[in-house]
Formats: sequence, C-alpha cells, structure tokens
Amino acid sequence: MIAAGIKRGTAELVVLSVLQNGALHGYEIARRIEQETKGSLRFTLAALYPMLYRMEKQKWIRGSWETSVNGRRRRCYRLTPSGKQKIVPLRKEWSALFAALHRLAGVSNA
Amino acid sequence: MPDWQELVRQRLKGLALESEESAQIVEELADHLEDQYRALLCDGISEKVAIDCVREKIGDWRDLKSQIESSREKERPMNSRVSQFWLPAFLTILLAMSFLMIVEALGFEPWVSSAWGGPQGTVPVAVVYLPWLITLPFIGALGAYVSGRAGGRGWTVFSSVIFPIVPYLAFCVIGLPTAMILDGHIAHNIILPAFFVGFGVWVLLPGVALLAGGMPVHYFSRRALA
Repeated sequence: MIAAGIKRGTAELVVLSVLQNGALHGYEIARRIEQETKGSLRFTLAALYPMLYRMEKQKWIRGSWETSVNGRRRRCYRLTPSGKQKIVPLRKEWSALFAALHRLAGVSNA
Repeated sequence: MPDWQELVRQRLKGLALESEESAQIVEELADHLEDQYRALLCDGISEKVAIDCVREKIGDWRDLKSQIESSREKERPMNSRVSQFWLPAFLTILLAMSFLMIVEALGFEPWVSSAWGGPQGTVPVAVVYLPWLITLPFIGALGAYVSGRAGGRGWTVFSSVIFPIVPYLAFCVIGLPTAMILDGHIAHNIILPAFFVGFGVWVLLPGVALLAGGMPVHYFSRRALA
C-alpha cells in the first residue's frame, strides 16, 4: 500500500509534466496521462479534480474558462511560473527516491 | 443523453463553497463526465452501459465532496499575516523586552560611554547592556524561524525580526523631536547628539544583533526548503 503522501507527490509531478506542453482541461489531462503511461496511471474524476484545485491553491497551476472552436466552454489549466519552478526539484526528489529504491532492491536480491 | 450537470449538482448538493464557485465546479465535473460518456460511446459501448460505467467510476460522492471542499478552502489573509508577521514580531519584542528587564533586574552594569555625545555630563551618553545585546541574535533567529515556518518571506521575515527596535525607532524619530518642541527645558544643542546616541545604541546595535541571528536562519531555512 503506497502512502497517500507519496501518491499525491507523484501525481502532482505527473500533472505538472503533462501541463508542460500547454494548457489542457481536466478530462484531457487524465486522458494524456493514461495515454502516455500506456494505461499504467489512471486518474479518476474523484482523484484528479481535488488535486487540481489543491495545486491551483498552491499557485502551481492556473485554471481559466476558455471557449473551444466548437463553442464549448471548458476550464483549462496551465502552469504558472511557480509551477514551472516546482517541476525541477520534484523531479530530483523522485529520481532520488527511485534510485534509492533501486539500490535497496539490488541489495535485497544479492 | 443524461443531464450530467443535474446529476453532479444533486450529488454535490450543499457544497460548502460560494454559489458561483460551486456552479463552476458542477459545470467542470459535468463536462468531464460527458467527455467520458462520449468516449465510451465512441468505443461502441451502448448508451445504458456507458452511463452506468461513468457513474461507477466516480465512486464515493461524499468523499469527493469533502475533498473538493478542503482543496478549495481559502486561507483567510489575516491568518497568514498573523502567523507570518504578527506572531513572530510579538514573540521577538516580548522576548527582547523580557530579557532587557531581566538583565536590568539582575544588576548587570551597562557599558556607558560618551564617545558619541561630546563632553561627558553635558550631553546624553551611550548606555549599552552587552548581555542583552548577546541574547538578541538568538531572539532574531527564533523570530525568523517562526515567520519562515509559517511561509513568511523576505520583508515579512525581516520586519518580524527587527520588530523589537520599533519602539526605540519611534522614540528617536517622533519622541525626541516632539520633546524638543513641547519641552522648553531641553537644550536644542543636545538633541542632535541625543538622537545619534539613541539611534546607535537602541536602534542600530540591537537591529544588527537581531539580524545577525535572524538572517542566517532565514537564508538556510529557505535553502533547505528549496
């Protein structure tokens, strides 16, 4: 069982990384994540939106209503400068954690 | 096609947010459900199964509602101002004043000099409590730590660290000129030396001492956070 804090931390990095390529609405964020991880990571509505709102409160992302070419109004999220800055330390943090886990697994297998 | 907005509105009824904010959340979540539903239809799934599938994926609405409420809960500006500035500021001033009273009560002899004031006996002299000055870096460090921990940055931390010198600064800038104007017994020729003596001993020196402790703590805690 992965602790909630770890899950949240990885999920934040995933969302920030997806938004690096441009503004997306909630459904598209979930779809991209599923597509790019080949289905390994899936975000339900209940997991995605509270996290997006939290990240918005932390000012890492900014949501704004936009009207698409077919006239549909959608709330799109984009990275803020603070969110862009956050990606680098988050990546380092998770790389370090995965490297440590890898080393630990290597020791266990030896 | 089902009315997704109505479904979400019903399920999130009583959301503890402002009505406009709630309406936007309902619209956004309904959009998401509609997209999911359309995607399932595009995959060739029947309308009824698609509706059931979308509803199942949501899970516990009560949990979602409480998560949305907590994630959208706004921190009152006063709370952060209090925790980042007023609390550490009053902590530093309280500690600084208490230590000064303790130092005086314990009978420590102040270092007295007329170096800045001209001929002794005619002008104000510098009264410096060295033991008190030695405690100030620690008090400044504590103020910076409390302010930084609450999310204070830059000027907020700086102001809360040097807050104990504010009364002395006010006395130098407001008290002395006012006394000079109101009280005819104060000789005008000693006001300027008195200002420099008071400013140096009770504002500049304690300020430097407080910052000597506060700024390194602020710098290193910011680096640790980064």
